[in-house]
Amino acid sequence: MIEIRETLEFLTARAVEFIIIGGVAANIHGSTQATFDLDICYARNARNLERLGLALIDIHATLRNAPPDLPFRPDAETLRRGLNFTFNTDLGTLDLLGEVAGVGTFEDIVGACQTTELFGKHYSVISLPHLISAKRAAGRAKDLSALPELEAILEYQRNDQAT
Amino acid sequence: MTKDKEELLRNPKPGTKAAAAREFGIDLTLTIERLRRTPEQRIRDLQSYINDIEKLRAGLKSRTS
Repeated sequence: MIEIRETLEFLTARAVEFIIIGGVAANIHGSTQATFDLDICYARNARNLERLGLALIDIHATLRNAPPDLPFRPDAETLRRGLNFTFNTDLGTLDLLGEVAGVGTFEDIVGACQTTELFGKHYSVISLPHLISAKRAAGRAKDLSALPELEAILEYQRNDQAT
Repeated sequence: MTKDKEELLRNPKPGTKAAAAREFGIDLTLTIERLRRTPEQRIRDLQSYINDIEKLRAGLKSRTS
């Protein structure tokens, strides 16, 4: 489970550079498919890793499905050595992706992001075409089952823009 | 989202992505409802759903323990 607003505002307050991806992004675009975690793609520059690491420590991030006695500290160095992480935090389930299958890194997708206002703040959200590519590349049943609706929404949006 | 635009999803033409989604089993009337709402309203709806599920899970857990 995830506290979406609180998590977004927390990361923003810590000046973390990130893009909303995954199911929350799909919902922002209009999907009706539920999700129970927040997926973000994060910038991997040294300054952002430092900010993100400090933020994760403050919300007591632990690796999901890892043995409880496994030594782990989600600091900048850990983030630098890894790429994609699935965390439980005080704010809920948070997945961090340094690279998104099918679309690439933060730098690859940030230029095509849409900016969306949520709760009085502006957030970068993966574009719908990129989200579709990512879900197709992920290839899991839940990703593939989301595709027909997302493609219909994209078709609707493009028709809307053309008229 | 105008009524005319909604028709693209309510009565999709054969061969369109909307038609494929409907054939896949997506209830596009729900999608239309979702698209009428703002992104913030969509996230509020999602959070409300998440919270409801959490309450249900907690209730089931307390009944079985």
